[in-house]
Amino acid sequence: MRRLFDFLLVAALTIAVAFLFLPILALFIRISPRSLVSALTSPVALEALWVTIKTGLIAHAFVLGLGTPAAYFLGTRRFRGREAILTILELPLVLPPAVAGIGLLAAFGRRGLLGDELSALGISIPFTQVAVVMAVTFVAAPFYLRQAIAAFAAVDRSLLDASRTLGASPWKTFRRIALPLSVGGLGAASTLAWARGTGEFGATIMFAGSFQGITQTMPLAIYAELDRDIDVAIAIGAFLVVLSAVVLLSVKLLPSWRRWTSVSATPFAPSSSA
Amino acid sequence: MRRALAACLALAILAAGCGSTDDSSASNGGLTVLAASSLTEVFQDLEPDARYSFAGSDELATQIEEGAPADVFASASTKYADELFDKGLTRKPQIFATNKLVLIVPKDNPANIHSVPDLEKDGIKLVVGAEGVPVGDYTHRVLENMGEKSVLDNVVSNEDDVKAVVAKVAQGEADAGFVYVTDVKPVGEDVTAVTLPDDVQATVEYPIAVVKDAKNPEAANDFVDLVVSDKGREALEDAGFGIP
Repeated sequence: MRRLFDFLLVAALTIAVAFLFLPILALFIRISPRSLVSALTSPVALEALWVTIKTGLIAHAFVLGLGTPAAYFLGTRRFRGREAILTILELPLVLPPAVAGIGLLAAFGRRGLLGDELSALGISIPFTQVAVVMAVTFVAAPFYLRQAIAAFAAVDRSLLDASRTLGASPWKTFRRIALPLSVGGLGAASTLAWARGTGEFGATIMFAGSFQGITQTMPLAIYAELDRDIDVAIAIGAFLVVLSAVVLLSVKLLPSWRRWTSVSATPFAPSSSA
Repeated sequence: MRRALAACLALAILAAGCGSTDDSSASNGGLTVLAASSLTEVFQDLEPDARYSFAGSDELATQIEEGAPADVFASASTKYADELFDKGLTRKPQIFATNKLVLIVPKDNPANIHSVPDLEKDGIKLVVGAEGVPVGDYTHRVLENMGEKSVLDNVVSNEDDVKAVVAKVAQGEADAGFVYVTDVKPVGEDVTAVTLPDDVQATVEYPIAVVKDAKNPEAANDFVDLVVSDKGREALEDAGFGIP
């Protein structure tokens, strides 16, 4: 009985590993290293890389700049409605990206909730890099917030209290005690959020459209090139696999980060197609 | 490895097919039709029981090349149908419909566009099909015929199929877009069409072919017969297609 049981476990594991790894492996076997390099240096791939990096960095600045103080507040205070706020912040985490896309249109599109106000100011967001940044921020921010809140909540309360009773200002307590103690968790959170943002597809293609050099990020370029030049699509895919692996390894290998990586994200995987 | 990739694509197509239609294909033994986006309404009306995957013809052709399970391929361009036939992946395609391009603007026409030259104005948000997507290639050809290629400077998005262009204009996010005449009717309440002169039109022909590896060749033949039958012609004409 025992041997049969173990055999079934191993069989299930083998199938799972093969199924999850084969598509990744296939990307690298499908094209030769030489055409991989030449496809990656094609204008489409390079411009997509640039758009992805640029919008990703700007989005990440918003995620960290707003997310860190928000997470500190939520991680260290208890108040009525906190659970409701946490739920709202985590909702985009489980939301299909297409829903994010239509939601962003409904809120910020020309006919959206804020459409009249925005156009009165002469602002039109869809089809611009601003739209890409917003889509990326929308899907990536919850990844950061969720883990950053956990990181701040795990800081020993008595250390913060001690710092305050010894006369340190709240600002100094945050900077000298809370931040250094949670830096590992924040780092892991930040990395995974950035990875998720890089893979953003559905919300972007709906809200920002696809234009090479402006709004076409790497996942959008894969989709566009699939039927034009499949080598370029595969090369970009392979590049993102390598990047994802680097992200994952860096999160796993830094031991102090380890406890924060249990909530695992799927770096770069566009979770739906539009 | 090629096969592994094909299997993934096939799964994706199955998922897409199931998602976009009621899963009522059992009644005819699971006929799977891969058809150009512009055929969405007319095919669904003509044979509600088939399982459809509507997308850009170029994308569908790639899927068939990668071994996606399909019984019938109906394309918005002879280019992809001929390519698949030449590669021995389909039976001989036959032309069953023609179409024309038209310029659409949102009903409230925020950019005040009434003709193609109006698209030259600065700041116009024009949405077109990507190059390689039939509607995109036709758009380029028509603009070339009109000597208006410069309006492409105002393109803000290259979409992967014609319905994506329609959606962006119908939602009012784009100021204008080039689509097929037949795409206008379903969104008639949201857009206004600006017709283009006949002498600048590109030749838009729709070929249909049975896929060689069809799981269900009989149903596939029946479907093709239905499309070219009197009933099929009538439905196509009602939808605004031309009959060759």
